[in-house]
This record gives sequence, structure tokens and C-alpha cells, in this order.
Amino acid sequence: MSLDSTLTARALGISRSRARSRAGIRNGRLAFLYLSPALLVFLVFTIGPALFVLYISFFNWNLLNPSLSRFVGGGNYAALLHSSDFWNSIVTSVYFVGATVGGSTVLGLGIALLLSQRGLVRRIVRLAVLTPYFTPLVATSIVWVWIFNPQFGLIDSVLKLLHLPEVGWLQSTTWAMPALIVYTLWHDLGFTVIIFLAGLATVSGELREAARVDGASYWHEVRDVVLPQLMNTTLFVIVITTIDSLQAFTQIYTMTGGGPLSATTTTGFLLYQQSFVFYKTGFGAAIAVVLFVVIALFTLAQLRLSRRAA
Amino acid sequence: MTNRAGSALWRKRSRRFRSGLLALLVGVVFAFPFYWVVVTSLNSSNSVFQFPPNFLPGGVVGNYGHAWHEASWVRYFLNTVLIAGSTVALVLVTSLLAGFALGVMRFRGREIAFFLILSILMIPKVVLLIPDYIVLKELHWLDTYWAQIIPWGASVFGIFLLRQFFGALPPELIEAAELDGASQLQFLRTIAAPLARPALITIGLYIFIGSWNSFLWPFIMTSSPSVQPIEVGLSTFFGTNGTDWPGLSAAVVFTTLPIMIVFMLSQRRLVAGASATTGAMKG
Repeated sequence: MSLDSTLTARALGISRSRARSRAGIRNGRLAFLYLSPALLVFLVFTIGPALFVLYISFFNWNLLNPSLSRFVGGGNYAALLHSSDFWNSIVTSVYFVGATVGGSTVLGLGIALLLSQRGLVRRIVRLAVLTPYFTPLVATSIVWVWIFNPQFGLIDSVLKLLHLPEVGWLQSTTWAMPALIVYTLWHDLGFTVIIFLAGLATVSGELREAARVDGASYWHEVRDVVLPQLMNTTLFVIVITTIDSLQAFTQIYTMTGGGPLSATTTTGFLLYQQSFVFYKTGFGAAIAVVLFVVIALFTLAQLRLSRRAA
Repeated sequence: MTNRAGSALWRKRSRRFRSGLLALLVGVVFAFPFYWVVVTSLNSSNSVFQFPPNFLPGGVVGNYGHAWHEASWVRYFLNTVLIAGSTVALVLVTSLLAGFALGVMRFRGREIAFFLILSILMIPKVVLLIPDYIVLKELHWLDTYWAQIIPWGASVFGIFLLRQFFGALPPELIEAAELDGASQLQFLRTIAAPLARPALITIGLYIFIGSWNSFLWPFIMTSSPSVQPIEVGLSTFFGTNGTDWPGLSAAVVFTTLPIMIVFMLSQRRLVAGASATTGAMKG
């Protein structure tokens, strides 16, 4: 029947089909109405607020009574540039983001290569790697707080069994960040692995086979045949994990509260602290704008790269 | 079989064995924290703090009853299901309508509208906390269910997926429906939406799990346990019972189990959805 109708439409010529499409299902007269529920939500809670935050950042904003807010121009940004808290948070963010992005890219690719073959064992392992990503951050962070517990935690117990020095982990300014990074990698690697597995599935099997026939070792096969074909996937993973890491909050709040001292206060966490603990809303908004610009640049870079690839 | 071929085969087998072993090790590392929290939840406080550590679960089921009575978990669970369920319903409706407009309808500005919606992905959630707090305050929605549902009621991911799906509907199908005199809404309701069921399930699962696992947003936007979801409840419980590791572990287990079951039952679909979307977004 559907075939009939195409044939009829064709037989009747373009004018008829145009006439019908004016009243038909593709007619865009009501398109805006169909788009409006989603657009309303985006406008009120995403697009509008994204502009609003810029506005707030020029004020000494009074959260309790907005009418008492005072325009300070670039004052919050000037304060930001002179704030050692801010610069510390930038250094901390670079540490955290660099380690989690580097770690999840390298380990994600490694684990994906390890799991790309078929088999029951690998299917079960894949599930194990994937599970943390879909389980809540609060709950799993609490488990790792216990694992990193000084003295009684699993890791310090094992260190003790091996007669190695115990570490205060989350209570140590040196080791809190590595602990946080280990947790974050554990939680998020599953996502990276899925993307790399999807990428690996598109890698030409013939080329790999050819390399093998030529007597290439496994490492050469990976380096010379697989990796070049995974360039786009790798870039995508780097950008996505950077954007996510810059926004990390829940594990920092649960595991360290930004401390000890400010050893784990990333810029994202500083934003929360300044705005919702110290109620320095305008200052927090300025931090938000800076974060926004950085993240938007990363997203644009990703769109650019993907367009070049397409 | 020549000697050389035999040794090549042997090498290949041993490599496969070694990589299998390594894979198994990776699996153990990732699964161990889950095992460990169950072990801790079933041991007494005394045995949890002993050295060398006890790697086997005991039978101290009482930790669960104890932790269960320490907080209003039932309320937290009901709140979470209500919030996640309503968010899913809302997202499905808004995505169906917008995806249909962008995938099927022909109108001026269609590409621009789609591009604008995609560009919303550029706006990071953490940036929205302050302005949305103020917006919700003005709406008198702070500390309500609304604050946790409506702002999440539209999803770029959902619109994207359905636009792709509707855009690929065979033209014959649409023409046939036109011949039958179906209206747009009729076509969407009775033909397009039922066909899109797999996509709708994927979207629903992602939104449900995301909503269930969310913490920062409800933590900032609510303050009363009567409207708060499970993860905020668990965080509060952690704040007040921070050293009772068996009880805390029990709470972690019973609050996480429901969403883990959802994940286990739907993991194939979730993986397929992630691969498809990221593949499409990579271009």
C-alpha cells in the first residue's frame, strides 16, 4: 500500500504532492508548537541562566534580597585574579583533570583492547568494569572512603601486611588527591571503555590480519594499525573526560570536602564553596563564567575535530 | 604439523591465556569494592577494625535492620522513584514532540533550531547552579519536587536520538498515513512513537539512572528530607554515622541495590545506546 501511494504521488506529479504536503504530516506550520515544551525548559533553566550567570558576575549579589545587590563591574573578576584560592584551585584542577583524563584514556584503551575479544570471561569482566559508572557517586565514594581509611582501611592493612609504610590517604595533603583520582578512574573508566570498544569494532580487521601475516608483533599491530584508526575516538574521549572532570563534585564533597586544607579544592568545588557555603554569589558567578569559557572551548574544539573527521 | 607452526600456535595460545588472565585481574579490581562493602556490612564493628583484615563476610545481618531504622529510607526511596519517574515521563514527551518536529516536519529554520539545541550541550551543568538557584527561588520552587523534575524535563540526548530515528522513517510510511488522512499528532501517537519504542526505552533508562544517581542538584536545591532523594539521604546518613562502618556499608548496599538491578537488566541496551550516540556525535 505504501508503495502504491508513492507511485500515485509520482504519477500525479510534483504539483499534487506539494499541494498534499501543505496539509500533510511533513507540514511545518505547527513545528514551533511541537518544539515549545522542550524549548521552554531549556530557555528557563539552561539558556536563560547561562546568560544570567554572566549578569550576576558583575554584581555584589545579595542572595536573600536581590534588590540589595550592588553593581561592581569587573570587580569580581579582579578579585578572582588576586585570589590565591582561585589560583590554587586552578593548579589543583590541572592535577586532577590531567591525571583522570590521561589515566582514563590510556587505561581505557588498554582495557578495551584486552576485552575486545569474544568469550564468557571477557563478557563478565566487561560488566564488572562498566558497573561502577552506572552506580551512584555518593554510595561508591563512601565505600572508597572506607577502603582508604587510615590504619583500618583495606589499602593500609595490605601495606601493613607487606611491611610498607602506611599512608593517611584522604587525611594527607599529599595523598588525598591520588586517592581521589584512583576512585574517579575506577568509577568512570567503564564509559571510556565502551567508547573505545565501539571504536575498535570499526577498525579494519583485514589490515590487522595483514599486519599479523607480515609477522608484526602484537604491540606493533596496535601501534601501527589500530591506534591510527582510533585517533578520532581518542580525541573524543579526551574532550569528554576533560569536560566531565572539570565538573567533578560529588566524590570530592563526599571523600575530602575539598581538603585537607585545600589540597583537593578544584575550581568546580571552589565554585560551590564560595557560592553556597560562604554565599559570595557574585564571586562564585565569576568562577562559573571562567569555567564556562574553558569548557565551551573544549566543546568547540571537539565539534571542530569531528567535523574535520566527517 | 611442523615445529615452527606448532610453536606459533603455542605462542598464540599462551598469549591468549595471559591476556585472559590479565582481563580477569582487571575484573577483580573493579568488582572488589562491591564485594568489600558487602563483607563489611555483614561483620561486627569489632571484626571490621581488626588486623589482619577479615576478607570473608560474617553473618551479622543485624547491621541492616539497625541502619534501616536510623533514617527515613522509605521516604527517600519514594521521593527518588517519584522524581526519576516523573522526569522520565516529561523527557519522553518533550523529546517525542521536538524530535518529531526536527526529524519529520519541513519548516524554515529547522537546521538552525537543531543546531541551537545541540549547542545547549556546551553549557556545563555546574555553571547553572547559581542562576538556577535564583530562578527556582523566584518561582518558590526551592525545596520542592518541582525543582528536581521540571529543570530536567527536556534532554538534548533524547531529542537528538528521536530526531535521528524519525528522520530515517521511510517516506512511504508517511505518505501512506497521509493518504489515510491521519493528522500529525495521530501519526506521531499511533505510528511513529510505537516504532520508536527501542529509542524511547534507551532514553528512559538513561534519564532514570541519571536522575536516581544525581546528587549535586538536589543537594543544593532542597533542604527537607521529606522531598529529598536517596543519594542526598545517604550523604546525610554518612555525615551523622560516619564511623559506624558496618551500618554505613549496609546502607550503601540497600540504597544501591535497586539501581544496580536496573542497570544489570538493561546493560546491553545502555551500551548500545552509548555507542550509537557517541558514534553519531563524533561525526
